[in-house]
Amino acid sequence: MFIRHLPDHLVNQIAAGEVIERPAAAVKELVENSIDAGATRIDIDIREGGKSLISVRDNGQGMDKDDLVACLDRHATSKLLNDDLLAIDTLGFRGEAMPSIGAISRLSLSTHAKHRDDAWEITIEGGVKSEPLPTSHPEGTTVTIKDLFFATPARLKFLKSDQAEYSAVKDTVIRLALASPHIGFRLMNNGKNVISLPPSEVALFECQLERVGQIIGRDFADNAMMIEAEREGIKLTGFAGLPTLHRGNAQHQYLFVNGRPVKDKLLGGAMRAGYMDVLARDRYPMAVLFVSLSQKDVDVNVHPAKTEVRFKDPAIVRGLIVSALRHAIQKEGHQTSSTVSHYALGRLQQNKQEQMNSPQAPALPWARSSSGGSSYGNLAEKSYAFYEPVPSARHEYAPDDQQQEHLTHPLGAARAQLHECYIVAQTEKGMVVVDQHAAHERLVYEKFKAQMEEGKGCIESQGLLSPEIITLEDTVISKILAQADNLKKLGLVIESFGKDAIAVQAMPVLLLGKANPQKLIQDLVDEIEEHGDITGLEERINAVLSTMACHGSVRSGRRLTIEEMNALLRQMEQTPLSGQCNHGRPTYIELSLTEIESLFGRH
Amino acid sequence: MIFSIDRADLLRSLNHVQSVVERRNTIPILANVKMVVANGVLSLSTTDMDLEINESVVAQIEKDGATTAPAVTLHDIVRKFPEGSVVKITLDSSGNFMTVEAGRSNFRLSCLPVEDFPQLGQDELPTGFSIPATDLRALIDRTKFAMSTEETRYYLNGIYLHSTESNGVAVLRAVATDGHRLAQFDMPLPEGAQDMPEIIVPRKAIGEIRKLIDEAADTINISLSKNKIQFAFDHVVLTTKLIDGTFPDYTRVIPVGNDKIIEVDPKIFTDAIDRVSTISDGKSRALKITLNGKTMTLSANSPEAGSATEDIEVSSDITDIEIGFNARYLLDITSLVDGEGCRISLADSASPTIIQDTGDSSSLYVIMPLRV
Repeated sequence: MFIRHLPDHLVNQIAAGEVIERPAAAVKELVENSIDAGATRIDIDIREGGKSLISVRDNGQGMDKDDLVACLDRHATSKLLNDDLLAIDTLGFRGEAMPSIGAISRLSLSTHAKHRDDAWEITIEGGVKSEPLPTSHPEGTTVTIKDLFFATPARLKFLKSDQAEYSAVKDTVIRLALASPHIGFRLMNNGKNVISLPPSEVALFECQLERVGQIIGRDFADNAMMIEAEREGIKLTGFAGLPTLHRGNAQHQYLFVNGRPVKDKLLGGAMRAGYMDVLARDRYPMAVLFVSLSQKDVDVNVHPAKTEVRFKDPAIVRGLIVSALRHAIQKEGHQTSSTVSHYALGRLQQNKQEQMNSPQAPALPWARSSSGGSSYGNLAEKSYAFYEPVPSARHEYAPDDQQQEHLTHPLGAARAQLHECYIVAQTEKGMVVVDQHAAHERLVYEKFKAQMEEGKGCIESQGLLSPEIITLEDTVISKILAQADNLKKLGLVIESFGKDAIAVQAMPVLLLGKANPQKLIQDLVDEIEEHGDITGLEERINAVLSTMACHGSVRSGRRLTIEEMNALLRQMEQTPLSGQCNHGRPTYIELSLTEIESLFGRH
Repeated sequence: MIFSIDRADLLRSLNHVQSVVERRNTIPILANVKMVVANGVLSLSTTDMDLEINESVVAQIEKDGATTAPAVTLHDIVRKFPEGSVVKITLDSSGNFMTVEAGRSNFRLSCLPVEDFPQLGQDELPTGFSIPATDLRALIDRTKFAMSTEETRYYLNGIYLHSTESNGVAVLRAVATDGHRLAQFDMPLPEGAQDMPEIIVPRKAIGEIRKLIDEAADTINISLSKNKIQFAFDHVVLTTKLIDGTFPDYTRVIPVGNDKIIEVDPKIFTDAIDRVSTISDGKSRALKITLNGKTMTLSANSPEAGSATEDIEVSSDITDIEIGFNARYLLDITSLVDGEGCRISLADSASPTIIQDTGDSSSLYVIMPLRV
């Protein structure tokens, strides 16, 4: 007989290889246990990126002596009470984490069950359990892992630097903390406090925003749009950044499914579709989204680390996210992020500083002739420079009563045009500077899009004399053909052509000479493969519209009258998404009176 | 090299050759014109490595020689010399500089050695025939609008020339298509063209030759091989490489069963299309044609500008058909129909449509409708 059963410690080590791939995974398992145990405070302490020490202490319900011993056995768990893998309401359920960690490290567990007066401690080293011993411990549980991976030296060798492992741990804690605002979190690295989040006591929604602000930053919390939508029993809540608040990577996009942090490419695709044509392709919006749906509609038992989930109907979830984001952007899209004006203020203040620090310009020789005259001469010169008219700024006055009326609008009354490019407007609360070209470009573009939509319901499409035959993998053919109706609405007519090709029968007129069918179809196929949905064609058509808008809009350098400027401001207020140009750059910045006053030190 | 020449003569020749020169070049000598003086003639050549043009002009020669000089600069200089002046060009002994003088102006241009000037190579051009300049003009004018500009289907970026039969008569046929419309032109097969290979003449050569033959003599001598074609007339020789590709089987896209026939005065039709399409702006190019017996209604619609309709009288007995076309495409074709009548043959609103001159069967146009 050649086949034998592997010894238990080996089985556990193999399981550990899947579940615990790096210290962050161990932290995740332990913190999830604490959350499942109903803790309201979780303290995490790591050293050397978690390689030499991970300690997680909570004030949850704790365990009694028997449970303490049992919890270190494989597939032993207090969760999954009705033995139904389709109804998982806890973060953990596999019963694998503790024995796995125990198999590869030196682990000690101290616990004090609620409403009992004994506390117990057990240790396990490389899978060898000790007897439980009485100890003293407040209610709750502390798990301490020392020398993680000491029993699997191969894995230990492949760990990254302390710093890299630490940031993975931090990322894990952040994700868990975002999902559980009512739990206090603290993370210490090498004895230094790096995350300290008190438990929030306000109502759920506000505490989410509070937590989001604490973790991702005030900028995000201040400029977040609230997302709330529900469709077919799937609920979506959370926050998404204004289009003008964006980052260079997708790191700040968090998705939670039933409170479980997951990394799903569905989110990336949905975000891109949601922010389509308010953001350049290489910028990433920020968002924290919580999806809650019936446990039957989602399978979390995909991977031991549980960062992946499978939706029963991913299209609905995606559609929900996309439409909720679009809705929010439509509603808030006329705003620009306050980071933009903060940035502007920062620059102004910097300049002021530099001016003050710069050495005084030498006075003219004649001013030196009398004592004290020097500084006087300087002053006179300076103030003269201030009063000198700026050659390229000009202002006109419209009749006062009209201007008064304009003042009450959000973007205020136009006061002047600077450098034939920027409109300065006065509002009731401060001032607004508008980039006339960017703003008008957006207005024209939105008008084009609206015309397109209402137009004839579908886009003109030029038939091809002989269809373009495009060879594709047979697996993707059915996927792209499933989208044929959607594509037809946009003017791209495709038909099946044999088992490994499709025939392009007609192309959108707008794309003639701008896209080659072969490449277009290939890109669309890639998109289907990656995101399961097609926005590429619409994006391309929009790109053409956007170029046309650019050519058809008021250029920088055009002089505008006050009436024209006011008309532009009023149109911006009425147009959705007017807060940013087609590439996500802001079209205007707003400075409040207090901000201006603070520049002059007047408060 | 020393010679003198009338400004007008030099300017005309330079004008012809300099348009071949690409404005941006990675090989500096391609920006130059090659000048060879020998046997009482000045010969000027330019090339872009695919297309070469050579023109000879009589000059008063003091000393034979050869060099290359910046074509565009030389052209600009000669253009700005006063009319009627005599231009004297002298290459200095080092061969690096050339002086250009007229009256009291004096220019010194840097030259590149003539040996470095690329040659297209003198291969055999076994097929040779001549055709009247008027026929070549017609051939190009009737087809060039349909050439494609798309880089991927490079074999459509030119005019396809081959010998074939049409109703039992041997013809030289030119075809061009960009996948949306197709133009075909037949002319009697010239003597000597029976065995010519099927060739695709690239669009740049078509443009250049078309410009040159406006003022050409009566006959154009054409010689060609599988890879090259040469047009020679007067003192000009234009040689170009051909597009190395296979032209698609165009006969498949020319429909045969189009039984809905409409005849219309081409002038009235063209003017009406032109007027109505004023309303279709950059975003929409659609022109809708509705037929109701003797009345054809052209209409265009733009969400921004508004709408337009115009009725014209046609001879047909078709009712209830509605078909859309790209107005630009339609205009390109109808403006070429210069006879008494224009015949439009339709099948349905999604199939290719044929347009022909009722009195002239030499040209045939196919256009694909717009689906709106």
